[in-house]
Amino acid sequence: MAYAIDPELLPWLEMLPSGDFTDPVEAREQFRRVVAGRAAYETSTPVSIEEKLIPGPDGAPDVRIRVYTPTGRPAPRPGYLSIHGGGFVIGDLDMDEAGSLAVADEIGAVVVSVDYRLAPEHPYPAGIEDCYAALAWTAANAADLGIDPDRLAIGGGSAGGGLSAGLALLARDRGGPAICFQYLGIPELDDRLDTPSMTQFVDTPMWNRPRAVISWDAYLGGRPADQYASPARAEDLSGLPPAYVSVCEFDPLRDEGLIYAHRLIQAGVPTEVHHYPGTFHGSGLVESATVSRRMAAEMLDALRRGLKA
Amino acid sequence: MSYAIDPELQPWLAMLPVISLEDMSVIRAAMADPEARAQGFQLPVYEPASPVAVEEKLIPGPAGAPDVRVRVYTPSGHNGPLPGYLNIHGGGFVIGDLDQDESLATRIADQIGAVVVSVDYRLAPEHPYPAGLEDCYAALEWTTAKASELRIDPSRIGIGGISAGGGLSAALALLARDRGGPAICFQYLGVPELDDRLETPSMTKFVDTPMWNRPNAVYSWQYYLGGQPADQYAAPSRAEDLSGLPPAYVDVCEFDPLRDEGMIYAHRLIQAGVPTELHHFPGTFHGSGLVEAAAVSRRMSGEMIDAIRRGLKA
Repeated sequence: MAYAIDPELLPWLEMLPSGDFTDPVEAREQFRRVVAGRAAYETSTPVSIEEKLIPGPDGAPDVRIRVYTPTGRPAPRPGYLSIHGGGFVIGDLDMDEAGSLAVADEIGAVVVSVDYRLAPEHPYPAGIEDCYAALAWTAANAADLGIDPDRLAIGGGSAGGGLSAGLALLARDRGGPAICFQYLGIPELDDRLDTPSMTQFVDTPMWNRPRAVISWDAYLGGRPADQYASPARAEDLSGLPPAYVSVCEFDPLRDEGLIYAHRLIQAGVPTEVHHYPGTFHGSGLVESATVSRRMAAEMLDALRRGLKA
Repeated sequence: MSYAIDPELQPWLAMLPVISLEDMSVIRAAMADPEARAQGFQLPVYEPASPVAVEEKLIPGPAGAPDVRVRVYTPSGHNGPLPGYLNIHGGGFVIGDLDQDESLATRIADQIGAVVVSVDYRLAPEHPYPAGLEDCYAALEWTTAKASELRIDPSRIGIGGISAGGGLSAALALLARDRGGPAICFQYLGVPELDDRLETPSMTKFVDTPMWNRPNAVYSWQYYLGGQPADQYAAPSRAEDLSGLPPAYVDVCEFDPLRDEGMIYAHRLIQAGVPTELHHFPGTFHGSGLVEAAAVSRRMSGEMIDAIRRGLKA
């Protein structure tokens, strides 16, 4: 199918990673090469980077995290748990490094980026429980990290957005750490795959129905989905933290993102939602395009407001 | 009910106009009284960076109807054909006039470099649907027919408005599509009034929100429809087919009864393949953009200008 993609994005289509992860190991390697080939983010203020192993969920291994501290800013600072994307199957801390540095540098937040376990080797709920462990650890160690525990947010793009939405539900229902804000970038929220965009977009760049099928099969590992796996299934969205949701036009996740955002709004959760025409899933990787710059700037602004930074 | 309104907007709530459409004779008397108008909520007057020429004209109305008054804003310092923008003011189909949109029209002409035609369409209840919409259509046709005289590039004519002006713009886009009328390159739908059925959760729940609420919406549609059943050109939410409409930008406010109809219409435009930008701003209410000092209002109006600029390829 032909899609009315923004003319500034079109020339880059061929250069983007294929996003195919029929073979997860090969897909992870491909993404690592893409990330390694990208220009490093240059901070304008000092940001220290420290990798740690923190206690994992009960009976599970430790979880690796990377802590980005804007050392030039006085504590207490806002905190942000960053959850990388990759369809629950690929992605790592390196992939999230530029984004984490940008948040630490431009917003002055301490960023904790979490290396959660990936499917299909580790199906649901391994990944989200690792994220929950990182959230609990960050809240418990707020003073040591120089974080104001009242200003702790979570967020991510794609599967990271879906995991963030799931984590917000989990923290609400377990009476877990307070989350002041959730950033849901083009989030992967619904395993049912029955929206018009998910049905129609079988060959859109970067993300499309065939990949979504693989992603959910891998993540669920044959188990039925509940609301923490697939937040679109949650019946009650009240009492969740304020949210910002971005949505792209030629993205099979488009409709689930718009519907979830509208439901958050109707549940009384202060929610900003912005749908950008002419974009596709991951088109923000084309950083030079005007629409990508708009999206990136608004993401930082939304996070800044959400963190009262 | 209490609403989690943005703290920067809250101090202004008491100063904003209290609108009740219950008694139109009171409203008409206030509109005719210069003293009452002077005491009302005053927006800062927009001062253009470069001069904008303003000219009022009477143009031919719909068949059998009176002429329509328009005000044309032409920016200086631009060469060649300019984009054009038909501006349709708000006011629940029953109030509002050219003066109300003077600052907005001047700003669009100045900041975007577009020729703005602002239309003084007939108001309900004196002139129910389709009078107002047909006046807007006449203004669109005139603007297109006179494009070269107005120095407008006829392939870059956008339309738009806020509140009822957004609803009329959505309807005008449908009408122009279905009549094979003038080409419209873009529609700006600001907090649009689109749905006479008044059934969405926000329209049901927001009975006492500032500036716009369910009781006013009930009056607004009663006056506008004048007892006739609504069709899709009166209430664009009723349109079953939204394909082939011009690219759109839709903004939506949280504590606005029009919130859900705006979100739904925008989502339906997107699903119909119409390139549509949608932005919902939390903590806002209908018309909260009048509080220009608030950061969220500046974000909204800045994005509106940018969206129109992109839509007009200016």
